[in-house]
Amino acid sequence: MRQYIYKRLWQGAIAIVGALFIVFIAQRLSGDPVALLLPMDATEEDFAAMRVELGLDRPFVVQFGLFFSDAVRGDFGDSYLWNQPAMSLLLDRLPATLELALAGLVFAILLAVPLGVLSAAYRGGWIDNTAKLFAMLGQAMPGFWVGLLLIVVIAVKLQWLPAYGRGTLAHLILPAIALGWYPVAAMTRTLRSSMLDILESDYIRMERAVGIPERLIIWRYALRNAAVPLVTMIGVYFANMLGGAFVIEVVFAWPGVGRTVVEAVFARDFPVVQAGVVLASVVFVVVNLIVDLSYGFIDPRIRHD
Amino acid sequence: MDKLLSVDGLKTHFFLKRGVVKAVDGVSFALAAGETLGLIGESGSGKTVTGLSILGLPPRPAGRIVAGSIRLDGVELVGLSERTLASEIRGRKIAMISQDPMSSLNPVFTVGSQVAAPIRAHGLARGRSAMDLAIDELARVRVPSATERAGNYPHQFSGGMRQRVVAAMAIACKPRLLIADEPTSALDVTIQVQFMDLIESIQAETGAGLLFVTHDLGVAASLCHRIAVMYAGQIVESADVRTLYANPAHPYTQGLLESLPKLGARQSRLSSIKGTPPDPLSLPDGCAFHPRCPHATDRCRQQAPPSIDLGDGQRASCWLLENA
Repeated sequence: MRQYIYKRLWQGAIAIVGALFIVFIAQRLSGDPVALLLPMDATEEDFAAMRVELGLDRPFVVQFGLFFSDAVRGDFGDSYLWNQPAMSLLLDRLPATLELALAGLVFAILLAVPLGVLSAAYRGGWIDNTAKLFAMLGQAMPGFWVGLLLIVVIAVKLQWLPAYGRGTLAHLILPAIALGWYPVAAMTRTLRSSMLDILESDYIRMERAVGIPERLIIWRYALRNAAVPLVTMIGVYFANMLGGAFVIEVVFAWPGVGRTVVEAVFARDFPVVQAGVVLASVVFVVVNLIVDLSYGFIDPRIRHD
Repeated sequence: MDKLLSVDGLKTHFFLKRGVVKAVDGVSFALAAGETLGLIGESGSGKTVTGLSILGLPPRPAGRIVAGSIRLDGVELVGLSERTLASEIRGRKIAMISQDPMSSLNPVFTVGSQVAAPIRAHGLARGRSAMDLAIDELARVRVPSATERAGNYPHQFSGGMRQRVVAAMAIACKPRLLIADEPTSALDVTIQVQFMDLIESIQAETGAGLLFVTHDLGVAASLCHRIAVMYAGQIVESADVRTLYANPAHPYTQGLLESLPKLGARQSRLSSIKGTPPDPLSLPDGCAFHPRCPHATDRCRQQAPPSIDLGDGQRASCWLLENA
């Protein structure tokens, strides 16, 4: 088990170094920074002096080494827009994103688990048909559009909930629904199909044959078997939500990481964009590691010993 | 009658888009406490569906019991609600040992908790004491070091041991009737023998009736008191085990026995029953076996034969026996 964790941490570190490298290359490809920094009438000598000052005259490998050693210390430079270190700017906004992502995830799970389980248990019944409709709508309607609809109907017309901003629980509801919308559809479909397979299995038949109540068979004995593929999906979607619920945060003016990165993109605030990409990849690696470790608790066959 | 189980005119049909499959079509038999009845037939003959119907679990959603009666200790089971069947019959009075030990245990629960599940479900014990009873049952089916093994998961057991766990789960609430559906066909021969010994000793201990569903004539001969041979959803012959093996009356039974290899006999080729089992969606008119029967007459092709009493508890459904 410990060895497995070490191995996965090592793999995660490699993935993050890979992300850093891509960020570094992308920065070089986006044009000569000296040209942006110097005035129009600068001379050839000014350019050369500036390159030496920024270290751009040094070999490529050395430049990456310097970038890398700054990056692992969380130093991506100061934001042009906010005049503060880029990574700490994003980390300040991480709690807001975490809050929204958790709320979106809870919404998705609370809706998808009963829908997926009951639609499999009562295949062809009204719950199954409702779930199908949800799944279709969920996959056909993009999150930003659902967000706009919610704002127009719930916030503007009915005035039940605030349309934007962060603060009270009421502020959280609409963006959480918009964010969880797509995962509900995907999770319901996955859960339904794995539950259908499991409910036909020999061990479920054996459990029925010894008189285990159907309710217990569905919610305990079958659902736990269906949990592994579900947890995989939960991990992927949660990492996505954390790494950047860009669109939803913009639509609802949610002061999180995603919106800040989008603003930074428009303002060509490179340090913040870079820090955002690296933060997202770290989050992805960590969440996936947690998901992989959780398999062992659900399914004893996947215990890493 | 002092019969434990009596099945009378049972019909379980499958309603499919392509038509109706009469998987079980008028099956009648009886079983006394402590008795073992072998239900023998090829795949698709309806023997497994008969067993499942007795449990009130015909394969869903297509399968349905459409006629007949199943009485256990004189109590009619056909028509009982699903809730009553689950809480009072299955596991408590009738239990099943299913076919494939590799797939019959839930992979994500410990074997102890799976054996304890019916004990808890039927309210015989709760919590820790249910687990203690489960461990007793595991010991009874001779799982070595049952106390420690109860905390293991199915994938940590061999096939033979898993089948014992399945048996422990089935007998945990001391059912009056055990249905064993091909419990040995997935096991090695040596493990088969051990497992059959185990079943016999369980039966001797509990006095339960045993309905043994199998396609294996050898296993059935060694374990059963009586045999019922099924073909195309019907019982074509039933007799006590000696009579059946010594004097098979129905051409299908004769064919089955002739297709067994015999010790000491010089045979260049095993004989076999020609043809294949009929398409369940369109059974032949008359006797369902007539297209494969070496003695078929015009009458066999037109009219289904009645069940004829041949004395000594032997019955067979065949026109050839009418005047015998």
